[in-house]
Amino acid sequence: MRRSFLKSCALTGLGLAMPARTLTATEEKQDLQPYEGPHYLVFNASGGWDTTYLMDPKGTEQINRLYKRDDILTHGNHTFAPTAKHKKQGLSNEDFFAEFGQSLLVFNGLDYSVNNHAPCSRYMATGKLDSLAYPTFAALVAACQGGSCPLSFLTFGNYSATGNLVAKARVPYLPSLRRIANADSIEGNVKSPYHDDFALERIEATLQQQHSDRLKQNQLPRRQHAESMLYAAQVNSKALKRVTPHIPKQIPKTRLAQQAEIALASFKAGVCVSANLSIGQFDSHANNDADQMKLIPEFLEGIAYALHRAEDLNIRDKLVVIAQSEMGRTPGYNQGNGKDHWSIGSVMFLGPGIEGNRVIGHTDEKQFALPLDPDKLTTNDKIGIRVRPEHIHSALRKFAGIADHPYSQLFPLGVDQSQQLTNLWGKSRTGI
Amino acid sequence: MSLPHRTPILAKSGYLTISSILIAAFASQLSLASDPASCPTINNQKLDHFFTTELWPKIGRAECVKCHKSGGDAEDTRFVLQDLSRLARQEHESALRANRDAFLRMAFEQKDNESLLLLKASGRLDHGGNEVLKRGGAGYQILQAFVHRVQNPNPIPSDASPDASGIASFFDGLEMLDHERLLRRVTLSLAGRLPTDKELASLAKASIPEYTTQAGTRASASRGETAVGNQRKAFVALLDNILTEDAFYDRLREGFNDIFLTLGVDGNPDQTVLSYEHFDKTRGWYQKFDLSHIQDEKERREAGYRLAREYRAALLGEPMRLVEHIVRNDHPFTEIVTADYIMVTPYTARGYGCFDAIKDQFKNHDDPFEYIPVRLKALQGRRESENQDSKTGFYPHAGLLSTLQYLSRYPTTETNRNRLRARMYYEHFLGVDVLELAARVSDAAAVTSKFENPTMQASECVVCHKTLDPVAGLFQNFWRFDRNSALYGKRKEGWFTDMFATGFEGEDLPASERWRALQWLGKQTASDPRFARAMTGHAYYLLTGRRPLLPPKDLDDPLYDARAVAYHAQQKQIDSIAASFKESNYNFKTAIKDWILSDFYRVDGLSSRITSAERVASLEDVGVVRMLSPEQLERKIEAVFGKASGHLQGQTAMLYGGIDSKEVTERAVDPSGAMGAIQRTIANDVACKNVALDFSRDQSARILFPDIETDSIPGESPSADMKIRAAIVHLHKHVLGRDDNEDSVEVNRTFELFAGVISDARNTSGIDERETWSCRQGLLKPVPDPHYTVRAWRAVLTYLLRQQEFLYE
Repeated sequence: MRRSFLKSCALTGLGLAMPARTLTATEEKQDLQPYEGPHYLVFNASGGWDTTYLMDPKGTEQINRLYKRDDILTHGNHTFAPTAKHKKQGLSNEDFFAEFGQSLLVFNGLDYSVNNHAPCSRYMATGKLDSLAYPTFAALVAACQGGSCPLSFLTFGNYSATGNLVAKARVPYLPSLRRIANADSIEGNVKSPYHDDFALERIEATLQQQHSDRLKQNQLPRRQHAESMLYAAQVNSKALKRVTPHIPKQIPKTRLAQQAEIALASFKAGVCVSANLSIGQFDSHANNDADQMKLIPEFLEGIAYALHRAEDLNIRDKLVVIAQSEMGRTPGYNQGNGKDHWSIGSVMFLGPGIEGNRVIGHTDEKQFALPLDPDKLTTNDKIGIRVRPEHIHSALRKFAGIADHPYSQLFPLGVDQSQQLTNLWGKSRTGI
Repeated sequence: MSLPHRTPILAKSGYLTISSILIAAFASQLSLASDPASCPTINNQKLDHFFTTELWPKIGRAECVKCHKSGGDAEDTRFVLQDLSRLARQEHESALRANRDAFLRMAFEQKDNESLLLLKASGRLDHGGNEVLKRGGAGYQILQAFVHRVQNPNPIPSDASPDASGIASFFDGLEMLDHERLLRRVTLSLAGRLPTDKELASLAKASIPEYTTQAGTRASASRGETAVGNQRKAFVALLDNILTEDAFYDRLREGFNDIFLTLGVDGNPDQTVLSYEHFDKTRGWYQKFDLSHIQDEKERREAGYRLAREYRAALLGEPMRLVEHIVRNDHPFTEIVTADYIMVTPYTARGYGCFDAIKDQFKNHDDPFEYIPVRLKALQGRRESENQDSKTGFYPHAGLLSTLQYLSRYPTTETNRNRLRARMYYEHFLGVDVLELAARVSDAAAVTSKFENPTMQASECVVCHKTLDPVAGLFQNFWRFDRNSALYGKRKEGWFTDMFATGFEGEDLPASERWRALQWLGKQTASDPRFARAMTGHAYYLLTGRRPLLPPKDLDDPLYDARAVAYHAQQKQIDSIAASFKESNYNFKTAIKDWILSDFYRVDGLSSRITSAERVASLEDVGVVRMLSPEQLERKIEAVFGKASGHLQGQTAMLYGGIDSKEVTERAVDPSGAMGAIQRTIANDVACKNVALDFSRDQSARILFPDIETDSIPGESPSADMKIRAAIVHLHKHVLGRDDNEDSVEVNRTFELFAGVISDARNTSGIDERETWSCRQGLLKPVPDPHYTVRAWRAVLTYLLRQQEFLYE
């Protein structure tokens, strides 16, 4: 069945890329309807975070020099490393779990299988290790749910492949959003349009007619793809003017907050589905503790900032947060007081449709993953499986309601039904 | 797959041919064929074909050869294959035969009535690579079919694999650019300009072939191919000239920086590239530079800032200037890994501390960007122990590999042990993504705990590290981590012994070469067949913005064969160009020219609709169709209008898919909505700034409207309409590169737009009789617009500038 589906996709151009859908005649004449959500924020701790200093604490001398086993803290069902005394700035674990623990789902013992940055980043972002073609979850959900949004998939770094399903948008600076919001006005001043309205309407109508005609012509697949992507980008860009009211006057200082503001303004304006946020330098091969104590609080502060601002913008109830990294750090220090790459790690989720105050999956005292019963979500040596990124992504696709979307079927994850983490999102929750 | 050492059943001589193996095999299976003579040749051919098109590309090359090769993890087994990627093209056939024979030998071996080959590949017997093919999976089935065919003298199910002859006809049904349009593509792409009238005339002249008759008179030739041949010669001559233009070298540097990213060095390069340990007395020369002749304090301060800025830019620019120097002077391109010099300017020479020694070689001491080749002396540290080893007294330069910029851009750490540098080396100079070797699921954590030294013991790790670590060792003389302090420096204890020995692909670095290990690596690289192919791939990237195709991996993909056809067709072209590149003594211009003349670059359309999903899949990557980068788009605007838009600088360039060579290193390939908005702005603004301006010029100096005035109004007379249509044809040609007839669909469409806008204006009250204020600034003379034609032409130009033909290559 997949074979015939893929073949028909190829014939219709889907195999190469399915650009943003062709607009209806009505949509051509009016502004695109805003995308109302849900929105997805994927936070990436790029370089490999030390989960034992966050949601999977060990407290043994070999693994953690900054605290002991007895120092490990709890909040509800969460256990976490104490960082309040060690951080110099940002948000401590104590404050983060106190505020968000009730709505936070933690998955520990995720097996990335390999431990090099490039393949791990790709694997964690897409759920597929051995393909360069797969889209990241953020890109896939953007294509499935809002491909015609002008900034449907925003990225600020990390692995951001799109599978040619959707264009990736980079908006590195907040003021850039203002600059592009009113493209048909001289220097963005809406009172000074370049063209009289009737002339602009004629231009748009002629472009639409040309686009329509060209789609019927014999064209190379690449040219047809380009034609569609280009036309959609220009037409859809008109909706960007909705962003300007939501651009804050003050630009925040921290890296993740700056990225979050751009993403949230775009969410609020209904021009964006998902965003890939990222800060780097987690690759602490030297001086692990100092680096992680600087970066983990910065990372958590960024998540908290985004959630607070989403609250201000009244979109918190539509915001799904995924916090991840491409790998963990070794359960021991090297000679430079650093920690190297470790193929076991964690991921955190928070948002509507996710039951919080839960920790799924575990690692043992030496930081090895314990097999997980995919049905009961408890550790089980006999029938447990090693949960890998494809299991998480398969669950995410179901959660987002895109598992059966043709785009998702173009990029199958190959997880057997018996290994699906069907209850990952909590009691009677199957997604949003 | 590692197989235990055992005497093969049949391989007594060790040099069995496929025929002898088959004959012996068939003879041994009396129930199947007792007479060797009954082994039909056709079956061997089919088996050969199956091996070449199915087993080798899908299993052998994709999986087995990663370990089962000389220098691989399984090199000590008796199943050792030849890695075709390391061989010259002419050696492929014999290597493929040898590989086929190796597979055949193994296909006969059994354990408990099951094929050893299948047992090993599926991980059911001890196999260093564990499970490589899942039982029942597509790959397993192919191997199973091969074993079955070998063991069965009457196998021959039909082959579903692509026929080799299909590759030869890959471009059937596709349309190619003619030489004139190809010239426009090339001049815009490589020289940032439109073709000149002279160039076009020389092509036109060549299209009217002439020959000398027996009577000694010249007459027009009737044979079209003569014309095509002449045009091709004329085109190549033009191409040779284009590749000498300065603008080509700007593009060359830009394109190669997209690959090497050396502009992305962190921090101030005078601090990071020129480290404290070796350049502390010279790197800050600009801070003490005498600017006292500038009286005004503010001006003097500004001059100081400019000095620092230009010095840093010159330092960062050195690696790409080396590339330029090699290509411009027709040096062998192998010099990017072997050049025993670097490029310096009067400014950077001061930073290195060698300015006084070489200043006579510069034409202008105040030109920050006058680059000349120079050999540096061996580095002198603040302490004797930090002095660079050198038996010649000079820095052992090895092209880009040993430049301080390359080493700074790809730094190392205590635990990384130069592996990043080795990985980048493989990617940049041999076209090998080493990490892809390991892109298979394993349990890295368990491996780490199981082995004392996983990188040398665990097969999952060894598959990469056996390749990577020896090369990492070749960078051992650059063992410093605080780049502000030093880049050069050796490890006190000597290089690591818990890594595979320093060397290259199975050959150890001679001890006598250690002081110049990168030079040794450069020599190995230059003689490696992968180098020519990798550089050919870089030339393709330069021209198309895309890297060559990777072989398809998903055997379950129903379009696998179609994708394989595309991959093989491109590989064939790469092999051919690489061979020609090598024959030309690695002249990089040869690779550029060969690509330009190839069907891959010239293809521009379809002659008929495709109805087969397989054909669509095989053509997915065909055609340049490249969205112009911000830099390229600005150059095109300048070429077409005489002036860049100025919109695609700084942050907006990044927003328009540009790179910063640090965090953002991949250019956008499709436009986002944000980029769509920028395209609209540019179209609006460029039209605004150029339409009235062009009408204000003398007619002879006009670019856009050389044959029409603003009083030609559509519908007023047939002659006016004809003029308007002719003007549209000119605009289509000049702006879009289209050759349209005056009554073509596209010209009709543009005409309707022009006429419609004027009609709407007539029906709208209160319309100003002048162009918009912003769009009538800087005119050479007033251009009134009583009929709204100027603004209608502006609408036309805006429309054209938003089209694919303008925004894409």
